[in-house]
Amino acid sequence: MNVAAKTYQKGEIPGVIAIKASVCKGCDACKRHCPTGAITGMFGATHSINADLCLSCGQCLINCPFGAPYETSDTVDAVIAKLQDKNTTVVGIIAPAVRVAIGEDFGLPAGSLVTGKLYGSMRKAGFDILDNNFTADLTIMEEGSEFIARARHAVFGEENAHGGHIGPLPQFTSCCPAWVRFVETKYPALIPHLSSAKSPQQMAGTVAKTYGVKVWNKPADRIYTVGIMPCTAKKLEASRPEFISAYEYNSKKGQAAGASYPDVDTVLTTRDLSRLFKKLGINLAAEKEMEGGTLLADYTGAGTIFGNTGGVMEAALRTAYAVITGNELKPLEFKKVRGLNGVKSASVTIRDSKYSKDVTINVAVVHGIARNIAPVVDEVLAGRSPYHFIEVMNCPGGCINGGGQPIYGNGSSWIDAIRPWFAWR
Amino acid sequence: MEEKSYQYMENPLHVTRREFITIGGIVIAFLALPAVWFKSIATSNNQYIQARTKGLYQDDEKSAVRVSHANQSVMRYYKEFGGEPLGHLSHELLHTGYINRSKGLI
Repeated sequence: MNVAAKTYQKGEIPGVIAIKASVCKGCDACKRHCPTGAITGMFGATHSINADLCLSCGQCLINCPFGAPYETSDTVDAVIAKLQDKNTTVVGIIAPAVRVAIGEDFGLPAGSLVTGKLYGSMRKAGFDILDNNFTADLTIMEEGSEFIARARHAVFGEENAHGGHIGPLPQFTSCCPAWVRFVETKYPALIPHLSSAKSPQQMAGTVAKTYGVKVWNKPADRIYTVGIMPCTAKKLEASRPEFISAYEYNSKKGQAAGASYPDVDTVLTTRDLSRLFKKLGINLAAEKEMEGGTLLADYTGAGTIFGNTGGVMEAALRTAYAVITGNELKPLEFKKVRGLNGVKSASVTIRDSKYSKDVTINVAVVHGIARNIAPVVDEVLAGRSPYHFIEVMNCPGGCINGGGQPIYGNGSSWIDAIRPWFAWR
Repeated sequence: MEEKSYQYMENPLHVTRREFITIGGIVIAFLALPAVWFKSIATSNNQYIQARTKGLYQDDEKSAVRVSHANQSVMRYYKEFGGEPLGHLSHELLHTGYINRSKGLI
């Protein structure tokens, strides 16, 4: 790991991904998947990662044929210790993409939706549940309102009711931590275009330690929040030093005496969670289906599709349409932003009931930034982007193919696919 | 000077035309195998992405409520605690800022 890392704040994990030199064969397969060219090393020689460029997205990790990249942060045992501590409420924040992938680690077919079994296993392990889909809905309320404010400011010159600054169009989504870091390191000029809304994970941590104090009837420093994410970059995001808003809020109210605590205490990837279940002897596939238990586990269909590319946009459009026109969108499915094309775009003409005028909104959805982001960003920087709202996810396909997901035997790890055909395996 | 006699040998390998075509076909099939392998790997890569995508859209379709602004718990959060979207408390708790990290990279 690069000790003199310059693109990290104090307290952040300086790069979640590293390459095990003894395993790397120098085959260059990972370089194809790296969005920033952070992987250095000649073909045939051991590769290493330039931590300053690395986004910690983990695409190299899930696509390496030899399993050479690994995560530098592993907190499975720390979480188990907290689960056994009776004084602590451990809150698991379950991301949408986890429920369609974790079954693969327990022998279920790819794409099995196991929300009930996942809740059951989590509660058996001792977690309380805050479904990240709940905060995805919350994100839509904040980010969607922000977009409407920006759009009405640009079109009708409407000012912020609270006198705050209103950012420019197009607005980029800010849910993907690898994308946020990509902007911060490579295109800082785009920072005003990023939505100021926190990602669902960070909202969840903050809500758990402020509003959640009432829900679980526990002081905030006795609530331990664990993000359960399909994503390795979320580990880096949770360690950003500015994410202590719950502590700041509680100490302003005089309810935080001790040391400062982060909004999200630690993050487990989907793979980490199945490892935790296996260590505790829980077989997810055979568990009972259960409900989430609290109001913070309530979610809508709009929140759950956040894990797919185009999902954030679709969810935002459903809500923005209803807020702007006063009617529900019909049909609710917005098929143009679905699918696996690199850049998807659509435009909707809607009638703003507040100003009684028709407005056309052009939206774009980008995923797999390693290949697809450059033309879209160049247009925005040149000031001739036709879009008003752009969703970006780093990983191809969205979070469901994130760097923390179960490694699919033969993904691009083609050695594993071919190995069974040979006698000496 | 003795003249070297020219000897013509018909089909020294004793391969008939049909056998030649068969052998040629087998060789080409073997050459094409890697292409089939890589194609199957590439499609299976997309298959698991598509299966997971489908799983989440199923979750959406079977939900009783499918729009964020109708989530009763979110409404309750704003009513009991958060105020309104983009309100004062939202700004304090649910929004953030970003920093320019490009200086370290020249």
